[in-house]
Amino acid sequence: MAYVIEPRDPLTQSEGVVRGYAQTALRWPSQPLARRAHGAAELSGPAGLQKKLPLLRGDLAGYGEKRAIGQLIQIRTRVVDEDGAPVPGAMVEVWHCNAAGKYIHPNDDNDAPADPNFYGAARVMTGGDGLIELRTIKPAAYPVPGTGGWWRPPHVHFSVWGRVWLSRLVTQMFFPGEPLNEHDAILNAVRDPEARSGCIARLVPRENILVYEHQLVVRGRKASPALP
Amino acid sequence: MKKLVPTAEMTLGPFFPREFAQGMNDLTHLDGRPAEGEVIEITGRVTQLDGKPLDNLVLEIWQGDAQGRYDNPDFLGWGRAATDSDGVYSFRTIRPGGRAPSINMLLLYSGLMRQLQTVMYFEPGDHSPKLVAKKEGPSRYRFDIRLRGEDETPFFDD
Repeated sequence: MAYVIEPRDPLTQSEGVVRGYAQTALRWPSQPLARRAHGAAELSGPAGLQKKLPLLRGDLAGYGEKRAIGQLIQIRTRVVDEDGAPVPGAMVEVWHCNAAGKYIHPNDDNDAPADPNFYGAARVMTGGDGLIELRTIKPAAYPVPGTGGWWRPPHVHFSVWGRVWLSRLVTQMFFPGEPLNEHDAILNAVRDPEARSGCIARLVPRENILVYEHQLVVRGRKASPALP
Repeated sequence: MKKLVPTAEMTLGPFFPREFAQGMNDLTHLDGRPAEGEVIEITGRVTQLDGKPLDNLVLEIWQGDAQGRYDNPDFLGWGRAATDSDGVYSFRTIRPGGRAPSINMLLLYSGLMRQLQTVMYFEPGDHSPKLVAKKEGPSRYRFDIRLRGEDETPFFDD
């Protein structure tokens, strides 16, 4: 059955130019984005991505002396399409800062300590149920330089490949109950409250670990069969 | 059946791991085997409203093989590059075949709230001349991208 990508409701998606996030006004196109017909290129996608993107450490927390500092958490993320069908074999890249709010990245000037036991990047593939599980530590908030007091709430970055090229999804996952969520220019660029809360994980405490459950919906669904 | 709402896209941010963006801009080999077709190089500069080149911007491409097929198990038509401090990216790949050969491009960056999609064509046709790469040599093409402002590149919202 053919796979289709339908137009999105803009209210459920981030605005292009965002107040309080100056670079968006320099980078988001001034012209309206054009719609185009979808051909073979848009409705196909790379099979065998793992030949080019090696899988990397689904465990960011480590053990014993090599354990990263911070609150141990597990993130259980399910990748589904717009039918709610799990997407097995989907490549997922994840990155986040450490428990002091520091990324291992040359561009991070935040005056917070690095953690030698925490790198903060993973690349994993969903199982048959569309699920990935990451063992890691909870990231901290950090200030955005030059913004006069914008602090990013704790969040985790996700980059996901769905079934076709137009299913590509790059987004962020937030944590429930964080006071900074209400003020974040990025989370609140999504105007629809339901769509916004879909980006906030659900906390499920378990023995020895706090579990955060979360769903990523990639674009695309099976075409409805033609009416007789 | 109730359709689920696709998750909102958000910016890549400034701290995309370096190791994720490096060493993936050569599509001419897969598992050590060379792909069939004409090897070409595509380079370009990515700039913002004030003309400033953008450093560490991530581009991903998706294209067909030398016959224009998207399901060739020996050619993974996907690649990723990051711009350098001059805003310049480059890909080594195979010139795609088929009717109106083209390469799909996706841009991810800090300050880009959603991915931007565009297409690079090799020849003029039924599309904006801004989407046609400049031929700079026998197998060299240049495709500059202006996110916003004068000579803004056309982008798509599919």
